[in-house]
Amino acid sequence: MTAAATDARPVPTADWVTIPDLYRNPYPIYQKLRAESPVHWVPAVNRYMVTSYQACHVIEQDQERFSADETNSLMKRAMGHSMLRKDDPEHDVDRKSYGNVLRPKAIKEHWNAIFQANSDKYLAQLKAAGPGSDFIWDYAAPYAAENLRLIMGFHNASQEDMQRWSQTMIDGTGNYADDPEVWAKSEQSYNEVDDAIDEILPYLRKNPDASLLSGMTSMPIPLEAIRANMKMTIGGGLNEPRDVLGTTVWALLDNPDQLAQVLADETLYARAFEESVRWVAPIGMYPRETTADTVLEGVQLPAGARLGIVVGAANRDPAVFEDPESFNINREKKPHLAFGGGNHFCAGAWVARASVAQIAMPQVFRELPNLRLDPDNTPVDAGWVFRGMTKMPVLWG
Amino acid sequence: MAKISFHHSDGNVDVLDVDPGTSLMRAAVTNGVDGIVGECGGQAMCATCHVYVRPEYLDGLPDIGDDEEEMLECTAGPRDETRSRLGCQITVGDGLEQIEVDVPDDQI
Ligand code: HEM
Ligand code: FES
Repeated sequence: MTAAATDARPVPTADWVTIPDLYRNPYPIYQKLRAESPVHWVPAVNRYMVTSYQACHVIEQDQERFSADETNSLMKRAMGHSMLRKDDPEHDVDRKSYGNVLRPKAIKEHWNAIFQANSDKYLAQLKAAGPGSDFIWDYAAPYAAENLRLIMGFHNASQEDMQRWSQTMIDGTGNYADDPEVWAKSEQSYNEVDDAIDEILPYLRKNPDASLLSGMTSMPIPLEAIRANMKMTIGGGLNEPRDVLGTTVWALLDNPDQLAQVLADETLYARAFEESVRWVAPIGMYPRETTADTVLEGVQLPAGARLGIVVGAANRDPAVFEDPESFNINREKKPHLAFGGGNHFCAGAWVARASVAQIAMPQVFRELPNLRLDPDNTPVDAGWVFRGMTKMPVLWG
Repeated sequence: MAKISFHHSDGNVDVLDVDPGTSLMRAAVTNGVDGIVGECGGQAMCATCHVYVRPEYLDGLPDIGDDEEEMLECTAGPRDETRSRLGCQITVGDGLEQIEVDVPDDQI
């Protein structure tokens, strides 16, 4: 044993944490965990949960000790072996196959106009449905799904297909209970996505556009990798912009002073976006695995330990953020971990910022005057691995 | 070893001796230099490793690549047409044995 290992503390166990409690509201649980230790063994989750900012940050920057290539990963079963579960150099090959499609220049040249058209379309539908309709299901979800469909190049699918694929494969990724019905739906989507890719690639070869799949046709990348990366991107590129849109609108409606500020200065939507993903990270936890016995922030971990990097907790660490539990667009700027960090840093971060903070948010508040929550139909926020509004009826006018 | 100096606006300077081949971003993040974030781990994707290179070191630098050019348009601090670079795209050693940069006040 090394000196560091001898000095290291053992990992405490948190047997009081339950999944239903985490699902309802994980934040009081994270407060309690973080105050006690940066890492816990949590039997209900069957993982070591890492909840301090510093420990999460160390892990993100060190793929030698903390591998993304998890053993017995449910994500690999549900979506195939994508870049998200590879380490460099293999990861880098896959990541490069995305080219410039998700980068700021392409967003300016191609995607912003498409995001605008999609926002016009679904906002018109929300208005037609009238006050009392659900901001998430009547606007945010179809908007995010249609954006992603076109960015990816699925001209042979609908935004409804995208939503179904995303949710069923995410459910497969989280199917720790091994529910056969969940697997059946997830596998059906898996096959549908493969078929859609097989069908669209020859079309895109003849009719190239700015999409991810179109770019793939000229990249030296095996079909297996394309399939897995596309499934992961469907799972990782739809619910998150939907959720940050819902959470930010909810938070602003709940904080009239801050709402007045952004209404007076639309450049502040960018601040509101970053504060929203800090406050409620749409992806609250993602996995890593230790490659050897190691010490993390003074705590001893065995080789092969399955870790949950709880960025949802790290983003509310009082060691970094003052008054971390409150939504405050005026707080001192500090880097949050909602987009991950290091080599797996979110490839879609600029897309999310442009589609949500630059296009959707200003338009929503401009075109729905006096937007407010429905006092007779309370919104619901839920989830912990993924967290967002599951229901948000709104009124306006 | 190569030498990197990070000058902060409050007058403090972090001077690091690092192995050749190390990027300015990696050196800063590994040694906890304030004001350099490096979220994306050096993929020219986050624009949080922005530095202003002091004029006397500009000649020794590689050209600005397409990805770097695009990110320099996305920095939180104002871009300086000649001095702004991404810390992750500049590695020391191999002719660049020493460099001094100013750290912007805003990185996010
Ligand atoms: C607010 C919205 C979003 C949030 C909070 C978010 C969050 C994240 C996080 C935390 C990771 C890293 C996970 C890990 O390291 O295990 C990630 C990776 C990724 N995200 Fe996002 N994401 C968002 C939007 C998007 C969008 C819109 C797209 C696609 C258009 C996208 C595509 C990806 C891809 C491809 C990766 C994998 C990167 C890699 O492995 O190198 N994301 N995202
Ligand atoms: S570290 Fe992200 S752009 Fe340099």
